[in-house]
Amino acid sequence: MINHIKLSCLFLWLICFHTVAEPTARNTDQATQPHIQVRLVSEFAQLKPGVNWFGIWLRPDPEWHTYWRNPGDSGEPPKIDWILPEGVSAGEIQWPLPSKIPIAHLVNYGYENHSLLMVPLTLSDEVKYGATLDISADLSWLVCKEDCIPGWATLTKTLKVASDHQPSAQAGLFDEAREQLPDEVVKSARYEITDNKVVLQLNELLPDGDWLLFPFSSSILNHAGAIQHIETAQSSTFVGAKSDYFTPSQNSLRFLVSDGQTGFYVKAQMNNAVAGEVLQAKNVSATFTYTTILVSMAMAFIGGVILNLMPCVLPILSIKALSMQRTSQSTAVKLAYASGVLVSFSVFALIIIAFKHSGSTLGWGFHMQSPVVVAALAFLFTFIAAALFDMAPAGNRLAGIGQGFIQQNGFTSQFATGVLAVVVASPCTAPFMAAALGVALVSSDMITLAIFLSLGLGFALPLSVLFWLPGLTRKIPKPGPWMSTFRQFLAFPMLATVIWLLWVFGNQTSPMAMMALLGGLLILFFALWLYRRTQRTFAHVAALMFAVSGFLVPLFVLTSPSTDSQATTLAFNKQQLAALRQDNQVVIVNMTADWCITCKVNEQVAFTSSAFTQALAQPQVHYMVGDWTNKNDEILGYLNQYQRSGVPLYVVYAGEQSKEVLPQILTPDLVVKAITKAVNEVNDEN
Amino acid sequence: MKIKMWLASVMLGCSSMLTNAAVDIDKQAPDFSLTNTQGEQVSLADFKGKTVILEWTNHLCPYVQKHYNSENMQDLQKSYTDEDVVWLTIISSAPGKQGHVSAAEAVKLTEDRNASPSHVLFDESGEVGKMYAAKTTPHMYIIDDSGMLRYAGAIDSIKSANPADIAKADNYVKMGMTSLASGEELQYKKTAPYGCSIKYKS
Repeated sequence: MINHIKLSCLFLWLICFHTVAEPTARNTDQATQPHIQVRLVSEFAQLKPGVNWFGIWLRPDPEWHTYWRNPGDSGEPPKIDWILPEGVSAGEIQWPLPSKIPIAHLVNYGYENHSLLMVPLTLSDEVKYGATLDISADLSWLVCKEDCIPGWATLTKTLKVASDHQPSAQAGLFDEAREQLPDEVVKSARYEITDNKVVLQLNELLPDGDWLLFPFSSSILNHAGAIQHIETAQSSTFVGAKSDYFTPSQNSLRFLVSDGQTGFYVKAQMNNAVAGEVLQAKNVSATFTYTTILVSMAMAFIGGVILNLMPCVLPILSIKALSMQRTSQSTAVKLAYASGVLVSFSVFALIIIAFKHSGSTLGWGFHMQSPVVVAALAFLFTFIAAALFDMAPAGNRLAGIGQGFIQQNGFTSQFATGVLAVVVASPCTAPFMAAALGVALVSSDMITLAIFLSLGLGFALPLSVLFWLPGLTRKIPKPGPWMSTFRQFLAFPMLATVIWLLWVFGNQTSPMAMMALLGGLLILFFALWLYRRTQRTFAHVAALMFAVSGFLVPLFVLTSPSTDSQATTLAFNKQQLAALRQDNQVVIVNMTADWCITCKVNEQVAFTSSAFTQALAQPQVHYMVGDWTNKNDEILGYLNQYQRSGVPLYVVYAGEQSKEVLPQILTPDLVVKAITKAVNEVNDEN
Repeated sequence: MKIKMWLASVMLGCSSMLTNAAVDIDKQAPDFSLTNTQGEQVSLADFKGKTVILEWTNHLCPYVQKHYNSENMQDLQKSYTDEDVVWLTIISSAPGKQGHVSAAEAVKLTEDRNASPSHVLFDESGEVGKMYAAKTTPHMYIIDDSGMLRYAGAIDSIKSANPADIAKADNYVKMGMTSLASGEELQYKKTAPYGCSIKYKS
């Protein structure tokens, strides 16, 4: 009963509210309500099949405002529910660039002047010329000064579908509104969350201007907080105060970046160690787009087809092709071979994925940003090239297995042929498999699987075609010495890959390290040659040792201390830190990583200032940097001491008397003050 | 460029000093003392051992009206005060600003709307509102019987002034109170409040 009354109250109230809020008659395209006029407008006076631009024109009184898609601390964006005839569909609101509207202690995002919210309405081809259509919008909005007044209205525009298309009286509004729209291109960026800040980085510079950040969601930034905008050598970084309501998620965050005149949308991915490194790609285009995935898959497919011409594959397939043409088979049997191949390739892909994951949990990620991985790939591809030149010990020991199977024709044997073709042929398929493996190790799991399946499809294709069209058997190339020529020829693309890898490696490290890697590759070649020349065990062992040492040479160069760091900078070392503190020295510890945006921003802002350099120049001040780029336990232990699991971490020690943990976002002043304070403490002690 | 960067960082430094984390979820809720409609001083400390719900309000705010005209707010007040929960409705509107009312007007509003808060409290200076970082009306808080702040945020999950959305929304206060009663962790401890900005003095 009570519920009943309640419902009817609600109902009554709704009716009252709506009658009050909707004083205008039906079928009108405009409404005047307290502090605002709203109108449904069309760019053209007629409708046409395809896209027609409509808009909600909001005209608040002076000093009153309406809201952007994210209203900020309070408020509500206008909402449009379209009521459309059949064959008409509405698209998204094209939000004009908003401005930041401070209201008392809060900040809102919205429009203080009139604004046009453009929406594309698409007419299907089925709508007939001459038809008259009612386009209606159920509109709700909030118009505010300091106080807010919500409003509702149903606006209708009746237009004819016609081939003769005349601009409406409001067409000018649309031209004006288009000037106010952000770019259509959505840029990608990364974000990072520190204790109380959100850090967003774009890999490009922005022109001079007051660039502001407008998050799509209201619970990302503290809207009233200042946004710091820093331009560094190659990137623009925004630092804003984190919203009290921020909940961490793996999803991407969307922002509008605008200087008031122009703007663009940004889709930002969470910056974690691995994702960061992939995106940070200096020279490697490791950000796979849809197209590059398709290209990789196409390449893998072609690679799969070429696999059939390999010396240890073609003979098997020839036998198979010859043995099967006598009988006609069921579809299942015809597909069995392809299934066998695909299953084998999937298993292989899964093994790699599992391997990759176990690797990343162990802490050694496979990514092109690690010079060690690039060096290892260079060795792998050099070895493959050598194998293709018949220089490397890649025997055909497996080739004899399963001959019996191959000559039979049941489902099982066909399936087994598929599996065996993959396994048996592995010595020859290795080059392609290795190339795919290389791509797979630096790609996501789905791409890995997609690449291997494409490779498998390509591999299975020629023989499967023969099952369906046995007549083509005569067309397959006969095995012969040409195969080995072809095989040797394939070594050149492999060597070309090595050149590319060397270039990447050189960019990542130094010409010296690149020299070392080339030296290492030379040693590998020598080792391979030695292995082939002699049959003696000790020579084989020596060759193996040579090969390993070849790999160690560039690694040694990589791990040796880099020379470009300043002389005043010490590498983090627990013992040395303890010793310095015992010696009553001031030590600034900076825990950083190459992939950490916040760290880099701080280094640009706070650690390059002349005041900081001067502070460091004092004899009792020491600057110690721990590099967490390649995670290690010593630094992890140190971070844990301060209840941190990641970087940045800044600590200033005054001997053993005191230590101060600095905030995660630094200012030059803050660091210098902390150092000065520590120096005074130390001097008092002396 | 350097100067700009420096300025920006100084500004940032200042702004971070200004943002004071007044209240924290799962921490002791700060005590306060305000005058009620009878002119008595009411403190949070008076309700030791009881669960307390704080509701910031402004009767002219459309978002407050959404929850009062639909009786959503009164239902919550009734069902929880019946269970011996203390419901404190706080008005932080400064004199001369929207939502500021005299004690008599507040009593009349309570009667007219058939509301049942334990007390309606006046916070003209805005001190308590700012201490609790109350931003909008409504802005809801749940303090458990041990004085810990367990929830701060919106009344429900749909940010709109349309009463038809109430039925479709997840009511965060109800969910919080249910979890609290069964001794579970709250699913939503802090949400972004929605509504009208609180009309503070400054």
